[in-house]
Amino acid sequence: MRPLTLKINGKLYHLMVGDHEMLARVIREKAGLTGTKVGCEQGSCGACTVLVDDKAVLSCITPAMRCDNTEITTIEALAVEGKLHKLQERFVEKGAVQCGFCTPGMVMTALSMAPTLENAGDPALLMRKVKEGLSGNLCRCTGYKKVIEAVAEYVTESRLSEKNTNYSAPVAKVPTGAVGRPRPYIDAEKKVKGAAAYADDIVSKNALQCKFLRSVHSHALITAIDFQEALQLPGVHYIATGRELPVKFGVLPISQDETAMAVEKTRYAGEIVAAVAADTEEIAVAACRLIKVKYQPIRAFLTIDDSLNDAGEDERIHNHGKFNNNIHKKAELRFGDQQQGLKDAEVTTRMVFEFDGVSHGFTEPHAATAYWDENGLTIITATQVPHYLHRALAKVMEVPLSRVRVIKPYLGGGFGGKSDPFAHEVIVAHLARKTGRTVRIRLTREEVFLTNHGRHPSRMTVEMGISRDGTMQVLDADVAIDGGAYGSFGVVTSYYNGVLLQAPYRLDNFGFRTYRVYTNKPQCGAMRGHGAVNSRFAVESLIDDLAQRIGMDPCMLRLRNFLDSNTFTVGHYRITSNGSRESLEKVMQRSRWRERIGKMEKGRGLGVACGFFISGSALPIIWNELPQSVVHLKLDFDGRVVITSGSSDIGQGSDTMLAIIVSEVLGIGMDKIFVLTADTLLTPVDFGSYSSRVTFMAGNAAKDAAENLKREIIEALVKKYYAMPEELNFVGDRVFSNDKTVDLDWGEAVDILTAGRGAVSVSGKYISPKLGGDFKGAGAGLSPSYSFGACIAEVAVDPETGYVKVTNIWGAHDCGKAINPLAVEGQLEGSWHMGTGQAISEQMKYYKGLLFNNSFLEYKIPTSLDTPEIHASIIETIDPEGPFGAKEAGEGAIHPVIPAIANAVYNAVGVRITSLPIQAEDILSKLKEKKMSSEKSQPS
Amino acid sequence: MITTQKYLRATTVGEAISLAREHDHSFRYLAGGTDVMVNKYQGNDESPVLIDISGLAELKNILATETRLVIGSLTTLHDLVANPLVNLHFPILAEAAASIAAPVIRKTATLGGNLLCENRCSYYNQSEWWRASAGRCLKCNGTVCLATGGGKKCFSKFVSDSAVALIALGASIEIYDGSQELKLPLEEIYSGDGVNSRSLSPTAIITAINVPLKVGAKAVYKKLRKRESLDFTSLTTTVYLDSQGKTRIVLGGVHAKPVVVDGDISGGVEELIRQTVSGSHLVDNDTYSKEYRREMITVLLNRSFQELTS
Ligand SMILES: Cc1cc2nc3c(=O)[nH]c(=O)nc-3n(C[C@H](O)[C@H](O)[C@H](O)COP(=O)(O)OP(=O)(O)OC[C@H]3O[C@@H](n4cnc5c(N)ncnc54)[C@H](O)[C@@H]3O)c2cc1C
Ligand code: SF4
Ligand code: FES
Ligand code: FES
Repeated sequence: MRPLTLKINGKLYHLMVGDHEMLARVIREKAGLTGTKVGCEQGSCGACTVLVDDKAVLSCITPAMRCDNTEITTIEALAVEGKLHKLQERFVEKGAVQCGFCTPGMVMTALSMAPTLENAGDPALLMRKVKEGLSGNLCRCTGYKKVIEAVAEYVTESRLSEKNTNYSAPVAKVPTGAVGRPRPYIDAEKKVKGAAAYADDIVSKNALQCKFLRSVHSHALITAIDFQEALQLPGVHYIATGRELPVKFGVLPISQDETAMAVEKTRYAGEIVAAVAADTEEIAVAACRLIKVKYQPIRAFLTIDDSLNDAGEDERIHNHGKFNNNIHKKAELRFGDQQQGLKDAEVTTRMVFEFDGVSHGFTEPHAATAYWDENGLTIITATQVPHYLHRALAKVMEVPLSRVRVIKPYLGGGFGGKSDPFAHEVIVAHLARKTGRTVRIRLTREEVFLTNHGRHPSRMTVEMGISRDGTMQVLDADVAIDGGAYGSFGVVTSYYNGVLLQAPYRLDNFGFRTYRVYTNKPQCGAMRGHGAVNSRFAVESLIDDLAQRIGMDPCMLRLRNFLDSNTFTVGHYRITSNGSRESLEKVMQRSRWRERIGKMEKGRGLGVACGFFISGSALPIIWNELPQSVVHLKLDFDGRVVITSGSSDIGQGSDTMLAIIVSEVLGIGMDKIFVLTADTLLTPVDFGSYSSRVTFMAGNAAKDAAENLKREIIEALVKKYYAMPEELNFVGDRVFSNDKTVDLDWGEAVDILTAGRGAVSVSGKYISPKLGGDFKGAGAGLSPSYSFGACIAEVAVDPETGYVKVTNIWGAHDCGKAINPLAVEGQLEGSWHMGTGQAISEQMKYYKGLLFNNSFLEYKIPTSLDTPEIHASIIETIDPEGPFGAKEAGEGAIHPVIPAIANAVYNAVGVRITSLPIQAEDILSKLKEKKMSSEKSQPS
Repeated sequence: MITTQKYLRATTVGEAISLAREHDHSFRYLAGGTDVMVNKYQGNDESPVLIDISGLAELKNILATETRLVIGSLTTLHDLVANPLVNLHFPILAEAAASIAAPVIRKTATLGGNLLCENRCSYYNQSEWWRASAGRCLKCNGTVCLATGGGKKCFSKFVSDSAVALIALGASIEIYDGSQELKLPLEEIYSGDGVNSRSLSPTAIITAINVPLKVGAKAVYKKLRKRESLDFTSLTTTVYLDSQGKTRIVLGGVHAKPVVVDGDISGGVEELIRQTVSGSHLVDNDTYSKEYRREMITVLLNRSFQELTS
């Protein structure tokens, strides 16, 4: 360490800095400017971009020592005197900010390139240049579309403006938040300024840092761990091993099969074997190196086939289960008569599909801080489900539920990947208890990949039959999924692979069988579109094939078979609102399907697919009698309504959704609303952000609460005035009767309500209706409502290289009612971006159980240049039970996009894709096969 | 445990070299640092002493003489892409530079650094933990190659995209080693050994790159990669053709060094392409399979010749 003076945002910082310390860490941890984010530490995500002498640099690979005598500018410098920079304004307005974790880097990159773009000519060229310029900044939420729009608009504007000022004149904006009006997230401004604190931004005095030693074997007995030498290292406070934390946990009550660290044996390479708490991360790393572990390797099971077969003695990955293999879960459900269905079908098709695992790829790595005090344990952590973590921590720490508090700070994307209780969370809680200190952990990007919980690698055989008139007769699926070393959500995933095929088409003869196996790899879990993404791909590919066989347009075939609204599926799902038809018709129209299909130039193609998804699981994960969501409102003398809810905003904008709903019901502006969420001490239980449940369930609870509050106000008013309760209106910050005999502004109404009583608190809740059939497995996939949608993709395939370029996605999604259309569009664009990734480039590749591509460089998330043009349409069907008619929009949209892309490839070059991601190698070899077989069939 | 880490800054080439000599085996020059810092992060570069040469203003100019363009080695890739002289005389060099990494990185990354960017391999560009788990390969002091499942020679990929373009253009480099100035054809600094991929004195500094101006010559550059930005190459090709029909083919990403084939197109290009394919040595250390990459050599080269002769 030596002294270094850095000038950051015009201010001098006199710091002690290591010779090889990176600027990102110094800015964040020594200068305390945590607006700059760190997503990969290897120069491959752009989150850490700052300006050094006005030039954009990646601060994670820039030595701090290089930066003396320079002027460093970080995101914190942009807003001046409370006013956003115009570029920041555009980001906010356009909805370019979702989780916000990539945002500071995006803004800084855009800022440095903007001057070079001012003469970029026509708008299309400008868009292209902006796309190029941002192509090193990964965003997992937005699909880049709104980001690109924001930057292009900023550039265009600054080109036009004569006075070259970057700050607008202050406008008196009265924010209103009516349902259906597009508006930025309530926290967008904070995020775009770099002021929102994410888990690793939270500073705690005197905290210890935690680092892990991870197993180097996929499957091995741990015969000895010697950490005496490591413990001697100055600065090391505690070293924990698996034996200290023997209590098992897991997100599902039926799969409590995980311990925080390997106890006696390790089940995947990368599993945590020991944890060090030390004064600094460097010391903790050094200590980990000194720990000696003796392993006795066991045969590793790395593929589905390995695990379906019998294991040798003492080779099984887990000892529970009756049979001597590594099958975790088997499930089978059959409806109608599949034999008969196959007989009735005039045309059948059957294919085998294979899918690699994929990862959520959220930009914010996991991080957590834990401490114990007179109130027990507090943990601040990047989690989607504070409630289940709360329960898991109480269980493993062996303390009453009343001694645990889980706080979710701002969260940089989840997509299902932050919805289990995680080993690292348990371990820092434990270390904090043992040391009596605050303990922090942050995972490296590689560790995030090792933590996994991503989409299951899967293999399935699916058969489908239709009659010549295009009526679907039968569907049968045989699915095996590779769960990795532990259970996670896997039992649900197994079922979803089957049950979520019973819509959006009417299928009377339908059945499936699924297996989930344990393997010696990082565990899989829930990821956007949970469980049914791969099997949906299979079915939509089969439908495409069948349409081809009977010579029917694939859109027509689908339109013929859609379920109606207000009906039941064969497996007793209650379908209420259903926008399948409108969605498909919309994308056909927008893509000009009828005019273009069959008339594309060589190598280009269009493909279509549909999908549906649950809008919140009707059943809780842990069976209990609590409502699924509870929302509290408090209204005090100041007229502000405080919303408290256990739901977690993970970047999808649920806090904003709650605020909009309350503002709509009470007719008050967003400036009178404050949202406090996801703190299990202060906020009422909500099950969390999974299964696309938040808008439907927490939204309904918020609506219920707001109506209860409204009732209280009405009661107070009718006591005082002669007014009919039903004639009182709540609009525009006023409460008035039809005849205006009562005509109060909000403050006056609040004074009447609180007189003699003080602050008023009310509660609202959501409880799902009783749904479903009376058979084993009937609960899987039950939801009070379902979302529907369709996508058409356009691709260009290079027949010589096999390279697939997805050029356009037209998507439509029935979200019931868009409470906030800007946010819904953002979810759809993000889903289609993510689906494009799974379709063309993303896969988790292993070498003997070791993940090859554990970085943002090698795990290929599409960049702005790889992401197609996305054309989103929102379909509104006004669900009878959703809040203002709303349903989910966060997950379902990913289902149709992947098969649409594959079907477009078929349309382009006649190659049927049966494994994902689509590989250039695969396309080429299939093209060759095709050529050979057509040559053979030519008479010579 | 941790050897003392040092960061030193040189203000002249001479100073850089004497600092390097002082620290002999334990230093690394830092130009942009965009390759070095990532390798350090992964524990593949453990040099305790970093000698930052990015401030050497003398190495940042681009100037044209009658016969050649002289490009200072510390020219950033961003500046190279934007430079009018480069775009005028050697558009493929600008194209090659623009295909490297991503825009923000290119503002820091230098041409000299790109020429000496470390060879890559799926088994090597990994964390210490990963490499320890996999069993260390030749390039990290192990005894066998993992990519070939036991080979005794390392064929980590040569990945510098700008070098592929420059070699095709017949570029030479100027090197200063404290006492003498050397001028070498660029391809000569690559050893072909994946472990120590350059045959250059470690203390030597590349000062400039000379690219000869040729009237009537054309070239085509192509790069195969999964994504349109960020990604290192899976195969880079350049085909150069002068007005007399003399051609030079250069490949990157298919051997531990660039593959160079000279010839004449009057004899037909098929044979030249065949020679190029057989001169490459692919192993499975990339995101694409080696068979695919081998096949793509022919595809990209055919296309390049078509573009050049049409
Ligand atoms: C996400 C990402 C993507 C990338 N993609 C690509 C890619 O597509 N193609 C590609 O080729 N590279 C790529 N790179 C690697 C790297 O950014 C480039 O190779 C870059 O040009 C290296 O230049 P630099 O100045 O940063 O080199 P440095 O990292 O500073 O140095 C690289 C090597 O050259 C030596 N060196 C540098 N300058 C001199 C000199 N003048 N004399 C003697 N020795 C010198 C250094 O000691 C070091 O050994 C990528 C890097 C990242 C992080
Ligand atoms: S080619 Fe072989 S020896 Fe060389 S880095 Fe790769 S695995 Fe190691
Ligand atoms: S954190 Fe710097 S590029 Fe990812
Ligand atoms: S908003 Fe870009 S990563 Fe979340």
